[in-house]
Amino acid sequence: MSRPVRRRPRTGAALAAVVTAAVVVLAACSSGHARSQSVGGSAAGPSRQGGTLRYALFYSPTCLDPQQAGEGPDLGVVESLTAQNPNTGAVVASLAASWEVRGDATSFTFHLRPNVTFSDGSALTSTVVAQNLNAIRRLGATASHAGAYLAALTSVDTPDPRTVTITFNRPNAQFLQATATPALAIESAASLARPAGERCAGKIVGTGPFVVDSYTPNQQIVIKRRAGYAWAPSSAGHQGPARLDQVRIAIVTNETTRTGSLLSHQFDVISNVTPQDEPRVRAGGFSVLSRTDPGVVLSLWPNEKRPTLANRDIRVAISRAIDRQDIIATLYTPQYKPATSVLSSTTPGYTDLGRDLARDPASARALLDAAGWKPGPDGIRVRGGQRLTLDVIFGLPRSLELIQQQLHAVGVDLRLRQLSISELQAQFAAGNYDFFLGNSARADPDVLRTLFAGFTITGASADPLTAALNGQAASVDTAVRNRDAAIAQRLLVTDAHDIPITELAEVVAASDKVHDLRFNANASLNFYDAWLS
Amino acid sequence: MAGSTDLADADPRGDHTDPGSRQAFTITSRPGPSHADPSGSDGGVRGSDADTDPGRRPAAGARIGPRVLLALVALVRNPGLAGSILVIGVVLAWAVVPGWFSHQNPLQGVTAQRLQAPSSRHLFGTDHLGRDLYARMVHGAALSLEATVVAVLVAVLAGAVVGTVAGYLQGWIDTALMRVMDVLLAIPGLLLALAVVSAIGFGVIHVAIAVGVVSVASYARVMRAQVLVVREVGYVEAARGGGARGARILLTHVIPNAAGPLLALAALDVGTVLLTVSALSFLGFGAEPPTPEWGALVASGEPYLYAAWWLTTFPGLTVAAVVLSTNRIARALETDSHH
Repeated sequence: MSRPVRRRPRTGAALAAVVTAAVVVLAACSSGHARSQSVGGSAAGPSRQGGTLRYALFYSPTCLDPQQAGEGPDLGVVESLTAQNPNTGAVVASLAASWEVRGDATSFTFHLRPNVTFSDGSALTSTVVAQNLNAIRRLGATASHAGAYLAALTSVDTPDPRTVTITFNRPNAQFLQATATPALAIESAASLARPAGERCAGKIVGTGPFVVDSYTPNQQIVIKRRAGYAWAPSSAGHQGPARLDQVRIAIVTNETTRTGSLLSHQFDVISNVTPQDEPRVRAGGFSVLSRTDPGVVLSLWPNEKRPTLANRDIRVAISRAIDRQDIIATLYTPQYKPATSVLSSTTPGYTDLGRDLARDPASARALLDAAGWKPGPDGIRVRGGQRLTLDVIFGLPRSLELIQQQLHAVGVDLRLRQLSISELQAQFAAGNYDFFLGNSARADPDVLRTLFAGFTITGASADPLTAALNGQAASVDTAVRNRDAAIAQRLLVTDAHDIPITELAEVVAASDKVHDLRFNANASLNFYDAWLS
Repeated sequence: MAGSTDLADADPRGDHTDPGSRQAFTITSRPGPSHADPSGSDGGVRGSDADTDPGRRPAAGARIGPRVLLALVALVRNPGLAGSILVIGVVLAWAVVPGWFSHQNPLQGVTAQRLQAPSSRHLFGTDHLGRDLYARMVHGAALSLEATVVAVLVAVLAGAVVGTVAGYLQGWIDTALMRVMDVLLAIPGLLLALAVVSAIGFGVIHVAIAVGVVSVASYARVMRAQVLVVREVGYVEAARGGGARGARILLTHVIPNAAGPLLALAALDVGTVLLTVSALSFLGFGAEPPTPEWGALVASGEPYLYAAWWLTTFPGLTVAAVVLSTNRIARALETDSHH
């Protein structure tokens, strides 16, 4: 299921979700690359069954139903047609045992695994899958992530109880990866019949290795092992029921409290360890594991409807004034990585543009000079009596004060406007901002198309870019997709339609009792293989 | 204590028309002479005193030399008060001429020097962006104190208006206004301030206004009580008998003579108000980064509580010291008025 960082903003209806997602993600913005995929493991001897894992989650999920727009931790309650191997990015069998994709990427046929049941006892059939897809479409704007994947859907056919054929009216190569995401998770018919609000409150029934036991909003989520689970995807570490009896997920938003609670053994695992607390956690004998979020890195999205930022040179100058290495060195730990493209290095289709994103204040100053912005008396540039003041709207301010300092050095005054989520949405929708600080996590290069094709986000337009984005969406050939994705990344970076800053990551800390704790491909924590010694 | 020395040369109950307690704001070594009695319980006695003397001023200045000397002696005998005055003096100086106290840039840091422990080079250490914390404290003083003063002014002025209107007009207006004030008192102050600042928007001055609005009720009550007492005393009746009209009586006789306890209360309140303003700033309703403000400094240091103790300790201690000092000084003014 999703964590807050997993946002796949779509244009239009999904803007609100983009904003919400971006706000939450910044809280998670500690980072680190895929240094380790799990803790413990075979070295700790044979796995042990049973026990309750106590986990401190750093935010309060808005909705536990992954089909809806809300972010949530991966509870292991629902599963999707496919799964994505976190190490290779490959799409592997899950609820669907096999599938075929038509050459032009307009039609996908899935063959369901036999003998799969939901935790309410009902069986997984092609009819239920079709009901799910229709239900997701009916959710409309609420299911912004899922809705984006199904945008061009024309029909869902069920020729027999174990076969589903999904047809689109235009090439939709991203759909296969989309079927691995929690946004297209499959719920039971009874679960779908519940009102959306009830499902958000935890009344969801899926095929997964856990079931929701209780949910107290803003306080605690308890999930329990489901006996009889026997259809784990091949990317999982074992087969059969989950090893833990129970996972108690407490919501602890204060980072100092989380760290302190881990150190005093009130939790076995905590999420979002901050860089400044990492040394303490390590010194206390806890292991820290992290995984870089796939998708679009933490970026400044310029509002190109504003005259100042419509000028490419100004945007490029601002990108060159940012010292990404300094941000990492100052605010993070050495294992964290600066952005080297619009996409993070763990995203399929990523291409390294680190040289284009190097700090170059001299050229930034030259570009600003050439654009007519000359240094004023207080160091801030002016043109025609107007100061070069730009604002940025955001929910949580990680690294912005440092960027503010760096931009000040070349004469740009960056105003930080921290807003509540609802205000952020309103200001974003109204276009009342110069920069928006955001990211969009998804383990597929198509995330670029959902964000930048048509430029609903930024208001710019660029034909070669649109062509490249549509190109990667139209081919099932990975080489073609990667080539077009690379072209798109290069165009976005060289024209600074997106000013990448840092790769975000999920960083968790666990006690030495915890073994085989893994990340999913979307960098959410997976409890299925975990066990306690 | 300074106050006791004043008694030698000035009738503490003199000069009712001079709102002398305003000096509480300037925090000199000579506290206001007479009205720092928030209880106002002796209003009747005061009234009879005052009957005879509106307009009379003590011959201040004639004996300034001995007075200063006596004040100094009193301060030496009371190091607590002396320390408090010193703290307030230093902080006021920070606010007025920050450049005299720190030459380092409070806004632009050197990232290579981040999170350095206090040293001779960085008196209070450096923050996560390598900015000198002492420089940020010094430069943040103006904003924090300004917010406190604005909040107190809002509370005093609004409270005075409400209290005067209620106390002077009486009747249903009095009942209505005071019930509204009761409602204000019933809601916890910080919570109400949070609601108000959410409604009017973020920013230090907005926070100050919110805190001021929340404190109106107690000022209104004190003012109303004073007005009720003063409007009955002889010189007011005399003025009325002499043909003065309502507004004139109110402005020249009632308000000046009722204002004393209000100002004493304000002096006592400065500390609490600073604390509330800082609390709201800590919660993120105050200054926009990178502007330094004391509450915001504590907040930005909070994630580094273990890694860099100085980021929260020094701003916290400074706020605590200022709050305690204002309370100490206000108490001195109060005991002074009892002598």
